[in-house]
Amino acid sequence: MNLSLLTLELGVIGLALALLLIDLWTPPALTGRLGLAAAIGLLLILALSWNMSGGPPVVGCGGMFARDGLALFFKRLFLAVGVLVVLMGVEYRERLALGFGEFNVILLIALAGMMFAASANDFVLLFVAMELMSVSFYVLVSFQRSRLPSLEAGVKYLILSALAAAFLVFGIALIFGVGNTTNFAALNAEGVRLAQDKLYWLGLLMVLLGLAFKIAAFPLQMWAPDVYQGAPTPVTALLAIGSKAAGFVLLLRVLFVAAPVLAAHWSKLLMLASAVTILYGNLCAIPQRNLKRLLGYSSIANAGYLLLGVAAVNASGAAAVLYYLAGYLFTLAAAFLVICVVMRDNEDIGALAGLSRRSPLLAGALALAMVSLAGVPPLAGFLGKFLLFRALIERGAAESPESFRSYWLAGVAVIGVVISLYYYFAVIRVMYWAKDPPDLSPIIVPARVQIPLAVCLVAMIYLGVMPGAVLAGATEAVKALKF
Amino acid sequence: MEPVFFYIFAGLTLLCGGLVIANPFTRNPVTSAMFLFLTILSMSGLFVLLHAFFLAAVQVLVYAGAVMVLFVFVIMLLDLKEEERRRMKLAAVVLGAVATGVIALAMIGAMRHSRVGLGLESNVAEGSTIALGKNLFANFALPFELVSLLLLVAMIGAVLLSKKDLR
Repeated sequence: MNLSLLTLELGVIGLALALLLIDLWTPPALTGRLGLAAAIGLLLILALSWNMSGGPPVVGCGGMFARDGLALFFKRLFLAVGVLVVLMGVEYRERLALGFGEFNVILLIALAGMMFAASANDFVLLFVAMELMSVSFYVLVSFQRSRLPSLEAGVKYLILSALAAAFLVFGIALIFGVGNTTNFAALNAEGVRLAQDKLYWLGLLMVLLGLAFKIAAFPLQMWAPDVYQGAPTPVTALLAIGSKAAGFVLLLRVLFVAAPVLAAHWSKLLMLASAVTILYGNLCAIPQRNLKRLLGYSSIANAGYLLLGVAAVNASGAAAVLYYLAGYLFTLAAAFLVICVVMRDNEDIGALAGLSRRSPLLAGALALAMVSLAGVPPLAGFLGKFLLFRALIERGAAESPESFRSYWLAGVAVIGVVISLYYYFAVIRVMYWAKDPPDLSPIIVPARVQIPLAVCLVAMIYLGVMPGAVLAGATEAVKALKF
Repeated sequence: MEPVFFYIFAGLTLLCGGLVIANPFTRNPVTSAMFLFLTILSMSGLFVLLHAFFLAAVQVLVYAGAVMVLFVFVIMLLDLKEEERRRMKLAAVVLGAVATGVIALAMIGAMRHSRVGLGLESNVAEGSTIALGKNLFANFALPFELVSLLLLVAMIGAVLLSKKDLR
């Protein structure tokens, strides 16, 4: 086993274990510092990841672990999410009934699971990485065990995640039974022969079902609103950004590394899933009053948009998925940071009334996040959607002229975006134009929230105005995939 | 002789597995647990037929031994009367049957168009402990080590969620 391949992962795991031990000798009053230390540690590992770029793709650890541009792109994404979520956790500290030290440890291990998922080149590593994430999330979601909604969310996540994992394992067993290997590269080498076997198709379909749970796409999207609402806010943020991105990197790897032969055939299926997911997420979000629940449905809709890029089955589609996820990271992190500070016990949208006067910074940040999610130029959300649609239209142009499937799907997605304008702007309206807000006491925003919030806002605007660097990185990263 | 044993063990596995989730005679969870025990035993029989003697032994020791004891222990701690009194909802039964039917149809349909088992010779050497150990510590070392991390998270989580006094 070549350990130098695993530098970033070992760094995160080492950080987690060190925190677990240091926590034993830290007086309770100083545990907040541990969170800051974790954030700084993650920042250092993120800086280290820039040192690793370049060089040809390497596959190591028995052909299981791939270090290529795609893996590195997603690892940076996960580390950035990690920093933001750990800082969010420091802000959330008093509301966690249990040990805050262990909270950070489990959060970091979940992060390590995501980073392993980004490099998975074998179904066995894929499964273990996914379980590492899932088991960490079972604990994290039900962390506020004295709060009934948190426990309910934990049980729901546990049962539905176990169901999805059962599908995944069944699928992997079928693939192994037909192909006699679980390695992506080996499966791809035998791709044409294996594709004649319908059991192989069924196996991959079940694997896709298992992944659909992670990205909260139809038909396994039901859990998202309940779990997002019940989980502690930093955990919701990690679920919404990290877990979804991990699901997408695995989806890209399975479809375009392990089975590019089948991926072309499944464009239709992915398009259908994408259309239903977009409509379901957007239509169900309209009546929601709880902001975290609203973001849960919005996350389903966003999974649908991201699936557009996968269903396009071309390089520009995959690059658009990567770019969109980068924009989505900072947008959602900003939204959840604001929720963390403002919504202490009341998560109803009404609690935001008068926020523009209580704290212009928080109101502006949340407004900008909502505008970006709605896809209004010049923010990151707009360009992401534009790139996804463009990839889909490219696909439509490449198909036979009688087939209007891609254009239909693009139409559905545009309808979805228009619907979403309604509920995103409802949030902004409450903040700026609510009639007689009940509470107008100013909110003091601590520096540990101000700085990450400012980073998110700058990133959101930078990605929207000057997408060149990130888009070039994404285009370079998807060269690891075959179409 | 092997095919006969295969059908006996496979039939027992399916029958007992079915009785775990839907027993027409009783809804007592302990009975379900006992049928799960029988399912695991007949599955270990299938492992023996595949020459995977170590896996068969582990299956009995870990699952039928340790895990089942834990299950029965948890069932004893919970309120059984509540579970027995709960009515089955017709909609749930119908939906479950439809879902099972769809998956079964997909399986059967896929099986009919596949060539499973052709060109595979039984590999006696692969079931031995030596082969298994080599696989775990050489080819699959990374996931094997990661599972230790998984167990650590599970342990921390279990302690946190069940600890009596919160710090």
